[in-house]
Amino acid sequence: MSLFSIKDLSVRFNTPDGVVEAVKGISFDINPGECLGIVGESGSGKSQTFMAAMGLLPPAGHASGSAMLNGKEILNLPVNKLNKIRGDDVGMIFQDPLTALTPHLRIGQQMREVLQVHEGLQGSAARGRCLDWLNRVRIPEAARRLDQYPHELSGGMRQRVMIAMSMLCNPKLLIADEPTTALDVTVQADILDLMVRLQKDEGTAIALITHDMGVVARMCDRIQVMRMGQFVEAGETRDIFRAPQHEYTRTLLDAMPRIDAGDAPKALEKDDEPLLKVDNVQVHFPIHVSGGLFGRKVPLKAVDGVSFDIRKGETLGVVGESGCGKSTLARAVLQLIEPSGGNVSWLGHPIVGLKRAELNKYRKDLQIVFQDPLASLDPRMTISASIAEPLKTYRPDLTERERKDMVAAMMERVGLNANMINRYPHELSGGQNQRVGIARAMINKPKLIICDEAVSALDVSIQAQIVELLRELQQEFGLSMIFISHDLSVVRAVSNRIMVLYLGRIVELGDGEVICSDPIHPYTKSLISAVPIPDPDVERSRQRLKLPGELPSPMDPKAALRFLPSRLSTGEHDYVPQLSEVKPDHFVAEHDPLETLMAGT
Amino acid sequence: MLAYCIRRLLIAIPTILLLIVACFFLMHFAPGGPFTSERPLPPAVLANIEARYGLDQPLWKQLWDYLYNIVVHFDFGPSFKFKDRDVNDIIAQGFPISLTYGSLSFLVATAVGVSLGIAAAIRHNSWIDYFAVGLGIAAQALPNFIMGPILILTFTLWLGWLPGGGWNGGQWQYLIMPVIALATSYMGSIARITRSSMLEVLNSNFIRTARAKGLPTRTVIWRHALKPTLLPVVSYLGPVFVYVLTGSVFVDIYFSTGGLGQAYVGSALSRDYAVLLGVTILYGALTVIVNLLTDLAYAWFDPKIRY
Repeated sequence: MSLFSIKDLSVRFNTPDGVVEAVKGISFDINPGECLGIVGESGSGKSQTFMAAMGLLPPAGHASGSAMLNGKEILNLPVNKLNKIRGDDVGMIFQDPLTALTPHLRIGQQMREVLQVHEGLQGSAARGRCLDWLNRVRIPEAARRLDQYPHELSGGMRQRVMIAMSMLCNPKLLIADEPTTALDVTVQADILDLMVRLQKDEGTAIALITHDMGVVARMCDRIQVMRMGQFVEAGETRDIFRAPQHEYTRTLLDAMPRIDAGDAPKALEKDDEPLLKVDNVQVHFPIHVSGGLFGRKVPLKAVDGVSFDIRKGETLGVVGESGCGKSTLARAVLQLIEPSGGNVSWLGHPIVGLKRAELNKYRKDLQIVFQDPLASLDPRMTISASIAEPLKTYRPDLTERERKDMVAAMMERVGLNANMINRYPHELSGGQNQRVGIARAMINKPKLIICDEAVSALDVSIQAQIVELLRELQQEFGLSMIFISHDLSVVRAVSNRIMVLYLGRIVELGDGEVICSDPIHPYTKSLISAVPIPDPDVERSRQRLKLPGELPSPMDPKAALRFLPSRLSTGEHDYVPQLSEVKPDHFVAEHDPLETLMAGT
Repeated sequence: MLAYCIRRLLIAIPTILLLIVACFFLMHFAPGGPFTSERPLPPAVLANIEARYGLDQPLWKQLWDYLYNIVVHFDFGPSFKFKDRDVNDIIAQGFPISLTYGSLSFLVATAVGVSLGIAAAIRHNSWIDYFAVGLGIAAQALPNFIMGPILILTFTLWLGWLPGGGWNGGQWQYLIMPVIALATSYMGSIARITRSSMLEVLNSNFIRTARAKGLPTRTVIWRHALKPTLLPVVSYLGPVFVYVLTGSVFVDIYFSTGGLGQAYVGSALSRDYAVLLGVTILYGALTVIVNLLTDLAYAWFDPKIRY
């Protein structure tokens, strides 16, 4: 008998524009102990399906059909009956661990109340059980965590707490709604490992809701592919990856970039004069720490001495985990924030410390596309006005007519319909808005575009389209790109060279393919090995390189020398690891041998 | 935390000094003086009086003497308008009255406003919600100078239940109407802020987590939602507290309560420099202290805040 069974489930939302059917009569089963993947892009109804079953829809949502747990109907039960099931028979974890825990209650309080409600367990017995589970999800110093508040823990640790909390009453089913989407790759890999182990050891069935085919390949026994409220394909994971039947499944799989595809663009020859030269750039932010009567300021070294150059027509990929300074570096290169030290020169002209008016001459050639397409456009300007704005600054000689024609031509070039000229950003989809952002950046035919996580917020199929568009534009206009992303697979697919950042410093810089297939620095190795590959056979047989310890805080003075403990032990805390050219055009930061690092701590 | 408090209080000293200096000059630059009247005094008499209060001295000397007396003797000087009374007396008489009905108004406004807002948010789009929103808007649209006459008409003239004015040592009959009149519009604002804040919190991810854990609704609301809900309310309450503590000129006039509000406005109109400055300093000091208390209260509501 199946553990969890959905029949003919429909979810409708009453909106001011009428009734929207988010889920259109779907059916599926989950067997005890298995991991079922529900795969789909945003708006496919994959989360709403489970929210409906657990009675967690917003007030405007209505569910009909049937949801059986252990043979008992649970759909639309009154709240007090559902409360017996939630957290007891069914545990849930969500996408964003940073906001999923109550900020003003200690971890221990939040965990204990689950035991109190479902098992009447209190006091030291409850505390013991919580401690036990925190240890099982491998949280370091578990006892201390019980008395900490959520904000004192990193994102990965909070997600572990969420998992521990939902496993407290040994649920039969764990619903995991995009559990690793907001996390860095290495943390994602840890959390996925943990879930695999729970499934094996506790026999918990997992419903994994995700858009990431790589995660599916690692985790799931079976998959249901969902699109616009309906299932388009279902089956064993291996079968679907090997021979997808439905057009949409094929599109999804093709759109996923693979880090082992081996078709990255080659590195370009060195120019005599690089387009952009970045020399030892530093960005320090003063951070207020308490201490003494008036506290004191300590510099947070967001970018700490980064040097590289960009060749004409080249794409440089910048990767690193959150807090490594990649976005700060982008802004410092463009002088959107002033570097605390170092130099940036554009075609041989230094541009650091220039006055606004002088800088504007260079800005025409240096453009940026931001992460959140909707938030980076002025909500009160039509998209054509946004695209036309740089023209008004740099081409005041143009007539209204000419400007309109150029905007129309650019919109067509980036794949926006001509009839959209008078639309506002909120009327467009995320992908369309990002096309607007690209059109705005491209309208003056710049020589360099920085894409700061430009495709990270988009669905995979849209992401593939935008990446393709960027590549075409690069070919057509011969522009150079700095492509910043936390997603190594995407970076690899577009970059001639890749630069790996760790806490504001370069650890490795070289040909994109070489970095991905044959990395030298231990940090790069661990990053690459954590990237999931959308192929179940490859993914499950891969060995992960797991460095000891969590990603440290940039405020930790010892963090910068994590890969050079030999210098730490000799007391040289301020030592800066030097970059050396191990092969032509392949730079690696000084580090201790991998064996030493794995043995330490 | 202690260091933080000391730091804040140290910063308060130059703040208040600046306030005194600015007010001092503003007042002296305004046309007229405490002894200007429609029927001019003989120049000799005027000169005599001005000499008695030190007004014949250069401005910087007057300011210096004023500050010196405050710092050394805690003496805010004599009133220019009321003979034989100095500023300390006037504040000592009026402030306790304002403090009494002001803090009662504050309690009433907060208690009723917060409960109403929470009830409305929990029963979103029900009759309780509509009632609370309607009441909130109506209360906000009724400033105390409208509420005053309405209350007096109803309870004194028609029903004859309550005395129409006076203080009488703060007996409860004399307190009811001033408190209601002053509290109403704040109550309306507090209810609205609480409601929208609670609605936002109820939509947040950690409330979804709390529900997914199977916690009963009352635990979700009281344990998980209440504190974050009150955070924006607290930032609004700080300034309100100062405002109601120092009383209201309208309340003082309508209900003849004799609080500080009336003395304050009266002194401004009659250029009673000493009283005006004295009360301004009191307001300033109260604002500084209440702001500090509000900031400390944040830390209790949100553990992320550390001092």
